[in-house]
Amino acid sequence: MTAALRALAVTLALLGAGSALAHEGHDHGAAPPPVTKSIAPRGEAASAAFELVAVPREGTLTLYLDRFQTGAPIANATLTVETPTGPVTAQAAEPGIYRLPAPWLSKPGHHDLLVTVTAGSDLDVLPVALDLSDPAAAAPASVPATQAISATVTQALPALTHDLKTRVSQADPVLLTVAGGSFLLGLLVMLALRGGRRVPVVAALAITATLLLSATAFAHGGEDHGADEKPVQGAALVQPAPGAAPTDLAQRLPDGSVFVPKPTQHLLGLRTVMTEVGTFHRTIGLPGRIIPNPNASGVVQSSVGGRLSPPPSGQFPRLGTPVTKGDVLAYVTPPVARVDISDMRQTQGQLDQQIATVQRRVERYAKLATTGAVAQVQLDEAQDELKGLKDRRAALDKIRMEPEALVAPVSGVIAEASAIAGQMAAAGQMVFQIVDPKTLWVEALSFDALGGAENATARLADGRTLALTYRGSGLADRNQAIPVQFAISGDTNGLRVGQFVTVQAATNTELQGLALPRAAVVRTGNGQDVVYEHTSAERYAARQVRVTPLDGNRVLVAVGIGAGKRVVTQGAELLDQVR
Amino acid sequence: MIPWRAALFSGLLLAAAPVCAHETAGKNGGRVTDAGKYHVELVAKGQTVDVYLLDGSEKPLPASGFKASAILIEGGKPARVALTPVDGNRLTGTSEVPLSTAPKGAVQLTAPDGTTASGKFN
Repeated sequence: MTAALRALAVTLALLGAGSALAHEGHDHGAAPPPVTKSIAPRGEAASAAFELVAVPREGTLTLYLDRFQTGAPIANATLTVETPTGPVTAQAAEPGIYRLPAPWLSKPGHHDLLVTVTAGSDLDVLPVALDLSDPAAAAPASVPATQAISATVTQALPALTHDLKTRVSQADPVLLTVAGGSFLLGLLVMLALRGGRRVPVVAALAITATLLLSATAFAHGGEDHGADEKPVQGAALVQPAPGAAPTDLAQRLPDGSVFVPKPTQHLLGLRTVMTEVGTFHRTIGLPGRIIPNPNASGVVQSSVGGRLSPPPSGQFPRLGTPVTKGDVLAYVTPPVARVDISDMRQTQGQLDQQIATVQRRVERYAKLATTGAVAQVQLDEAQDELKGLKDRRAALDKIRMEPEALVAPVSGVIAEASAIAGQMAAAGQMVFQIVDPKTLWVEALSFDALGGAENATARLADGRTLALTYRGSGLADRNQAIPVQFAISGDTNGLRVGQFVTVQAATNTELQGLALPRAAVVRTGNGQDVVYEHTSAERYAARQVRVTPLDGNRVLVAVGIGAGKRVVTQGAELLDQVR
Repeated sequence: MIPWRAALFSGLLLAAAPVCAHETAGKNGGRVTDAGKYHVELVAKGQTVDVYLLDGSEKPLPASGFKASAILIEGGKPARVALTPVDGNRLTGTSEVPLSTAPKGAVQLTAPDGTTASGKFN
């Protein structure tokens, strides 16, 4: 007995080794079997530069060519396929899609294609294996009976034990009834045996009852189990309608990965990035808001109280009107008090009188000066006096007439305007605010001094990010925090003063990990963060990750995925919707 | 008890060994890679391309009846070489351009029964 056992074990071990040798693992598994029967047979190959999927359908071979690292379709490539009739070049149909008539692929069996791909300076030879099943052989009747039975047994056994466990733990009434009933029947049988009479009748009754009860229990269990297992089994064994070509649909597979055929990948615009470990500065988020650049903004205030009147154009500049430095935006006419007016009238009368007197004197002197009766000096003095009087008179007029012009101190756009014609402006009142929308700053409040605040970013509520340049921080406390100012170094289009932003400023702490775009991380229904890894040409697997924010548009993956993996950065949300 | 353990041990060893067998050096000075159920050794020298046919456990297989073609990348251009069996397990062909000693490319085999297999050399 032991010798036989030993011999058997040795044989088994050797057989196992032999099969391992013959099989060799790697490369052979390049083409995974079709995930479900509803997906057309396909082959795939990948190299460092390319990812190629070949799908034969109705005598045409469709080749999908993408970049391996990014998943971007490659247009303008040359694909040459070795066919039984010699090399044939595939025709480009759409960017990244190439077609080739292939009647030689119509017969079922294993086909090996050799595809030479030339795209720009990249050149590669990719072997693609295609396993075409015979439509007739794929019928369910062809499944061998023994295989079917063994499959049923292997499925049923763990199910049965699992079922019993759950029933015991839940104190299932059916199970309890069966157990109790069997116990009672056992007692009855014992009694009957002791009595020695009517044995066959009682025993038959007992056996029948036990069988019936247990049958109901197991039938029930089977039902339950079937409900659990059905969707998985169903999905895996979907049979296409006879004669209909399989339709390739994106679907979630029983193992949780997502199958996305190449055309759908192109449609969803899926892009990936190769993960790599790097060292990054930890960032902290600061509440901030957008402020105008102090050197490129200004206010227009009236220095005197007075009545506002529009500039020569007749229109006050309105909100959003661009103005340039030196433009007259409005006039302020200081009001003249009644008492001042009478004072001025008096002075005016006096001046007019004096001017008339001096005027006549000047004329007289001018006549006499020629004869020498009056000295030239006297004439000059009189003329000067007249000139002085006229100047004073003119100034008096001017003061009554001329308002104060309000001039734009900087170029920019009117951000605030409160001017209405005829309005009385108080001295020092702000009439206009001018902001240059091209140079805006961000002021954030930091609770601790920033070290490497030079590379900071700001994130808006809509997800946009702005690159910031550190400008300086104050020392005076404001609400227990220090104001830190940054200049927005990118495009400031669409921003407004006072908008709230979250500033991500780098600190001196360094972190190791994988940096991924924020869009790569998807929050699943159960609240976990996952990223989708591109595992093979048409499969994506969700990987649970733990992320920490890195900066405005990137997160740092601390745990969950390693370096050198392809992670979906564009379209991950869409991928998550595939059911 | 000893043969039991020894057999298990040797079995494990045998099973573990081929994992590191990807594109190894061959007996004829070339590189060996998998091609379906076969292994092929590629030797390129000048314009001559030799392919040695091996089975899964690196034993030579008679090449008669097989056909093969190799596409080798040389100087940024693919070079197609048709290979015909000559002696033993060797198939040979001549390239139009001189090849480097370890060109990148692939070899496609067609067995006498019409089945195909291909192997890739990086």
